[in-house]
Amino acid sequence: MAEVQTIENVACGFCGLGCDDLTVEVEGRQVRAKAPVCPEAARLLRRLDTADPVARVAGETASETEATEAARQILANARAPLIGGLGVDMAGAGAAVDLAIRFGGVLDHYASEGLFRNYAAAQRTGWLSTTLAEVRNRCDLLLVVGDDPSATWGRLFERFFPATPLFAGANRRVVFLGAAPGEKARGQLAGAQVVHHASDDPVAALEALGTLVAGRRPPGESFGGIGADTLAALAEELRNAHYAVVTWNAAEREDGDLVATRATALVDRLNVTTRAGVFPLGGRDNIIGVNQLLLWRLGYPLRTAVRGQASTHDGTLFATEAALADADVLVWISAFRPEPPPAFAGKIIALAHPETIFDKEPDVLIPVGTPGVDHAGTVFRMDSIVSLPLGALRVATLPSVAEAVRRIAEG
Amino acid sequence: MRLRLKGGRVLDPANGENGVASGAVRDIEIEDGRIVAATDLKADAEYELGGAVVMAGGIDLHSHIAGGKMNLARLLMQEDRRAFPEMPGNFCGCGGGRAVPTAHATGCRYAELGYTTVFEPAMVGANARGAHLEMADIPNLDTGAYLVLGNDDYFQRLLAAGAAQEQVNAYVGWMIEATQAFAIKIVNPGGINAFKFNARKMDLDEANPHYGVTPRKVLTTLIRAVTELGIPHPIHLHGCNLGVPGNDDTTLATMLATEGRRLHLTHLQFHSYGTEGDKRFSSSAARIAEMVNANPNISVDVGQVMFGQTITASADYMSQYRNRGLASPKKSIGMDIELDAACGVVPFEYKDKSFVNALQWAIGLELFLLVEDPWRIFLTTDHPNGGPFTTYPHLIRLLMDRDFRNAQLATLNKAAQAHTLLGQITREYTLEEIAILTRAAPARILGLTDKGHLGPGAVADIAVHTEDADREAMFSTTRMVFKNGRLIVKDGVVVELAQGTTHVARPDFDRSVEKDMQRWFDEAVGLKAQHFRISDGELRNGAGPTILKCEGGAS
Repeated sequence: MAEVQTIENVACGFCGLGCDDLTVEVEGRQVRAKAPVCPEAARLLRRLDTADPVARVAGETASETEATEAARQILANARAPLIGGLGVDMAGAGAAVDLAIRFGGVLDHYASEGLFRNYAAAQRTGWLSTTLAEVRNRCDLLLVVGDDPSATWGRLFERFFPATPLFAGANRRVVFLGAAPGEKARGQLAGAQVVHHASDDPVAALEALGTLVAGRRPPGESFGGIGADTLAALAEELRNAHYAVVTWNAAEREDGDLVATRATALVDRLNVTTRAGVFPLGGRDNIIGVNQLLLWRLGYPLRTAVRGQASTHDGTLFATEAALADADVLVWISAFRPEPPPAFAGKIIALAHPETIFDKEPDVLIPVGTPGVDHAGTVFRMDSIVSLPLGALRVATLPSVAEAVRRIAEG
Repeated sequence: MRLRLKGGRVLDPANGENGVASGAVRDIEIEDGRIVAATDLKADAEYELGGAVVMAGGIDLHSHIAGGKMNLARLLMQEDRRAFPEMPGNFCGCGGGRAVPTAHATGCRYAELGYTTVFEPAMVGANARGAHLEMADIPNLDTGAYLVLGNDDYFQRLLAAGAAQEQVNAYVGWMIEATQAFAIKIVNPGGINAFKFNARKMDLDEANPHYGVTPRKVLTTLIRAVTELGIPHPIHLHGCNLGVPGNDDTTLATMLATEGRRLHLTHLQFHSYGTEGDKRFSSSAARIAEMVNANPNISVDVGQVMFGQTITASADYMSQYRNRGLASPKKSIGMDIELDAACGVVPFEYKDKSFVNALQWAIGLELFLLVEDPWRIFLTTDHPNGGPFTTYPHLIRLLMDRDFRNAQLATLNKAAQAHTLLGQITREYTLEEIAILTRAAPARILGLTDKGHLGPGAVADIAVHTEDADREAMFSTTRMVFKNGRLIVKDGVVVELAQGTTHVARPDFDRSVEKDMQRWFDEAVGLKAQHFRISDGELRNGAGPTILKCEGGAS
């Protein structure tokens, strides 16, 4: 029996919230999170003492060298590859961009829909935003738009509302504009005053709120299911807040782009007289870091195609689903979780989490280690400013994405 | 590996050598990436220079080349990226852009101009890891970054509580080490912090609405900290009231506030505005330059405005928020960051027909020409804020060629022409002075003893220019550029990519501060101090930093 090792202050790279205070027990090849941990991290950190799967080519067991060579052959003959998934740490992201430069290809992350909905506001008008530590200490009025985000970001409100903020004082208020907060959220928000305004159309409510904050009364008695007087009172609260923050998850709603636009406009108006910021939620599996790297290396965000030593960006054409219609090869990279590739008729090279279950056997499968479990790495938090070093929890038997991709690209 | 550069006219002001003036030619010998004394040994390669001008690689001490604000700028200004596509060359297809070039384009364009070392002057601690990752992807340049400090709540709390200077020094030392920084930058001292408490302006002696701390206190305390820690580069200051007409008085008061200690005032052009005239906007360059001339403890860089589209990116969210109405195109991004600092990104087009922009252009040139000591003034556009660094050759010609300068002036906004002394200034920079401004002096003020000169022991970063009476043409194309002795640019074209290094300063400090830092990060920031801290191995893909040990610091 291997000795149980307890590792403290483990950083977690999964949901984008960047919790870095986890305690994890490691016993030989086994890994299990103890506390404090959300269910998602507990699930994704857990490892059993089982042998890692080996590489396969066309369903047959292969050496890593054979799989690498097969992948290179497929890419060398590819007309239009899509390098998708991109659930990778920063080193893996750099290698994926090198791969696109070597063989050509479209680059997209599997969770980028929410990011691009936010870009509807961020790229057209810009926005005034804030980061986690500012929310923790300054935010005296938090407006949560849409569904309760606790289901996706298990410790969000615990992180947002510490027991003793530096400035926000005792009268912290949280207003849910949309669905009702669940039990977990209410538990984490025990120190704050929680209000819920049920709405099935938060975009309409946000728009009216923006008008009211600007000092005008929009015609109508209710907006998105919320009474005009209620919204007027909320507008007054926002104007009187020292530091209001609006948060939402653009990925959850078809109209996420409109939520982002209206929230941005509202915060813009508030800053004329007081201080406020937007805090868009997202950031799963280092999407923010991958996007950052693309911006500094290629000058474009995700959904960019590299061909013939030049890159072009198109947020619609190069979204995974659309790009797959034109692609003949899919390089699917998912190191953080067993996210299977989307349905695709062409050839698939999978650099995948060892527990991935495939609907269709990939043409090449190279199992890869997980950053923060099998090897060290760096990930960005959802606010795009802070990044975290992930450490290795156990001895790796699988290559990192960076190693696996470089072997393919450099051959 | 031994190289010999034969028959160049060596322009090396740091060592008092001026082959351009004397006409003397000589060889330069390189062994394993460093310049050595001449030998008779056979070289692995020899380059005939035929009397071309040989200078050390250029050093830019203030150019925004990395960090979150640049990516926000890229995101916001996709137009810039689209308008300036990839450079030719079979390297990596790694992007283009002019106002905010990609990492690859930044390294290549700088190399083409003969620059080999560039410092990012505004690294926010919370974003330091990302900035270092980005810098590692810039080819051909050695880099380093100045840590933005002074607006962070930890520091403001220290001052509000009346902490001893030793306590401040320990904090500053810890932060420099943790973020792998090279120097300390103060941006709008206290103003970024005050804006988070809804203050909209902050003058030198105005109290922070929450802490009661004044910018003067921030400045003087950090000047002392840097001095006592032995950090070679003085405080790099972006002063109060950037861009505000009438900020000249603040700038003068700021210089006096140093009480004789060293201070570097950055992008001075944006801080040299008076309120005279019917437009209530005037040049105070003469007043400011006079004060700089009289105070040898002061050094400055200009932040010259160059006409055209650019984007401004600054930690000074207070000022950027104030200016966002001037955005062109009309969009901007602002961000409060982690009890640490902030940033504001505002696209801007400087127009030669605009009174204000034309006068800003003239004010920058007035400063260049009226500050007498070339060792205390540096050639910058505050890239990309005053204009992209790729405009440097044009700027050099403006400084070296009075007729050209006056011809340009004659095309500008008429009212602005009437409000500047520029037309009467006869000074023309010499080649030697340009070499001082762009090589010898930055190396000296940064404490880089093996850069900015061509003596034995120097890093073999070398630029070779063919002399041309058209100085813009001369500085637009380098005949050869060597990085650590490797030929990376030939006849104006990048021929190879070299991996640079990252310079960091490492002061000694009282490590008992560690416990307090851990408590602060745990309780306030919500991030572990151990994860904030960047290890050496995280820099330059594992190569680690080049460490400048600070002498004279308290141990």
